[in-house]
Amino acid sequence: MVSEQLDLLAQMGHDFAASHDIESTMSHALARIAHLVGAEGGALFLLDDDHAHLVCHASHGPVDILGLSIPADQGIVGRSVAGNVSEMVRDVSKDPSFQGSVDEQSGFTTKSILCAPMVVRGADDKPEHIGAIELVNKSDAEGLFADHDLKFLEVLAASAGLAIHNARMAGELAEKEVMRRELERAAEIQRGLLPPPGDADYPISGVNRPARVVSGDFYDHFTLYDGRIAFTLADVSGKGMNAALLMAKAASLFRCLGKEDLRPGRLLQHINAEVCETVMRGMFVTMVAGVYDPVTGRVVLANAGHEPPLLHKTDGEFVALEAASPPVGIPLELTGGGPVPEDVLYLDGGCLYIFTDGVTEGYITGKNELGTSGLQKMIEDGLQKNLSAADRIASVADLLNQRDEPLRDDLTLLVIDDGANAKGRKANAADRTADDLKPDKPLVGSICKLSVPARAQSLILVRRAVEASATLTGFSKEQTQDIVLAVDEACQNVVRHAYKGTLDGDMIVEVRRENGDYLILIRDFAPPLDKSVLKSRDLNDVRPGGLGIHFIHEIMDGVDYLPPPDGQGNLLRLKKSIP
Amino acid sequence: MDVKTSEQSGIKIVAVSGEVDLSTSPQVRDALLDCILGGSSVVVDLSQVAYIDSSGVASLVEAFQNAKSRGQGFALANVGETPLRVLQLARLDQVFVIHDAVDDAVSSMS
Repeated sequence: MVSEQLDLLAQMGHDFAASHDIESTMSHALARIAHLVGAEGGALFLLDDDHAHLVCHASHGPVDILGLSIPADQGIVGRSVAGNVSEMVRDVSKDPSFQGSVDEQSGFTTKSILCAPMVVRGADDKPEHIGAIELVNKSDAEGLFADHDLKFLEVLAASAGLAIHNARMAGELAEKEVMRRELERAAEIQRGLLPPPGDADYPISGVNRPARVVSGDFYDHFTLYDGRIAFTLADVSGKGMNAALLMAKAASLFRCLGKEDLRPGRLLQHINAEVCETVMRGMFVTMVAGVYDPVTGRVVLANAGHEPPLLHKTDGEFVALEAASPPVGIPLELTGGGPVPEDVLYLDGGCLYIFTDGVTEGYITGKNELGTSGLQKMIEDGLQKNLSAADRIASVADLLNQRDEPLRDDLTLLVIDDGANAKGRKANAADRTADDLKPDKPLVGSICKLSVPARAQSLILVRRAVEASATLTGFSKEQTQDIVLAVDEACQNVVRHAYKGTLDGDMIVEVRRENGDYLILIRDFAPPLDKSVLKSRDLNDVRPGGLGIHFIHEIMDGVDYLPPPDGQGNLLRLKKSIP
Repeated sequence: MDVKTSEQSGIKIVAVSGEVDLSTSPQVRDALLDCILGGSSVVVDLSQVAYIDSSGVASLVEAFQNAKSRGQGFALANVGETPLRVLQLARLDQVFVIHDAVDDAVSSMS
């Protein structure tokens, strides 16, 4: 007998630990307990989540009461659980707690009841009530239980309680593990939103270290079709998943809209309007956006409520560029929602550092923050050690990240290093200066660039710019008139065929002088053009329309559609040899 | 861009001035078709046209075809160098009836 009991205890512990299906394990255990004690039937009740009801999770014997729910303070089971005592009712007919409703419905006659509570010691040493096991009617001895039956059930119930408790804990752990993996996957996607590091000579590099698994910071940069580089760095209020989701939205908006609008102040205005439409109350994004021109070292910068970026000049001076506008996501009725003011600066061989407050407010030792001065010191030290710009910001991140405890906040740094490009500029300038000073030196490179909304009313502006630039370049009056007509016709095609007269998009017309050629580049952001609508027609067939393309080909020496930059829009190059 | 319509010996004189481009050519088209659908012969005075593009030329062609099919006269007069160049590019200088002066055009029609 005793060995059978020990066997059952061991088996039960094993079953609950090994099985993922607690319900069927409970049902199996109950059947074996009933068998060992020699009961006709039994039931295993568990307290529900708010401890208001006892619910039958396993039922054994002639009457199936699986799923039966009784108020937690009623019946013999309720009394046993609430008082944490085992109950034996040798004869139910003499116990006022007995509820005869089940018997009335089933026709079963309950004579004698054993009930033992399942309790474990909780985390803070307080008893944690789990439920109870109830057995009815001894199979022999006229259906009545004896004291030793109760003792036996007590031991088994305590053991079952512990097994159920452990199985539940294991389930919670497994759930947490699933959550952890989900979070890892989210972090992986988020890392994918950051740009891959550029080549060694790429002037922009960034570093991002999340405080938790996911980050509320981000940075991005990409090269525009004309060689300039758009960049951003932003910090979403808060950390964790909600910040990470808003970060993903802001990052996507930057990538999407940043290719359309090259003016950072207007770009931030658009992102703000989009974010405000859906942002959760109280969340906002501090954000810097800018465009860097490697050819000139010129940076156009817009700062929406972000920590001031630092310009480190070649003479060693640091200049902080304060924000002139509130963060993105502040309701438009409070801010007016206008464009963010832009700063224009020339890096002139220096570096521009943009960073989140996770950097300046990060702890280096104890509760000592790095601070802006600490960051400046780190930058200077890095320069002395001849570290590259990428290594300099990595060393700052490493310093803040070396402590055992988690980071105080997400930390992100971005640096634009104009050093190498400035050297190139100087070398070119040395070659050019003497020539450039000659009064009749012709214009070279980009002569003018005009960005206009793609609509009929803009064409007169394009014509004026082209007329003046063609005259300056040395074309005769007649040639200039022809070129103006050809460009006008090409722009008409953008308005009428690319944007189909409906979309309110932009059109950029750039006039260049290269290798003895006068070039006009016409760029739009519309879906790729169906070139078949742009065919010359037979001029003997006199009818309105279809003349524009003929004019262009008749006048220009070269008409080429170039592969659209970034795969976006259309780019037409018109060429005329300079006489 | 401006379009002025007057009448001389029962013939409509449409005087166009300024730049005829995608944004202004619909006005030229409307003025010409009004005259033609009203049953008049038309002389278009292009002396003050500083610029004309393919959409402006298309308006002239459309008016010309309408007049022709209705048996009404349609002529251009005072075609300056700039519009003439565009008509030449379109090989339309041989298609349109072109007179040196409005009076010539009117007398040839009446």
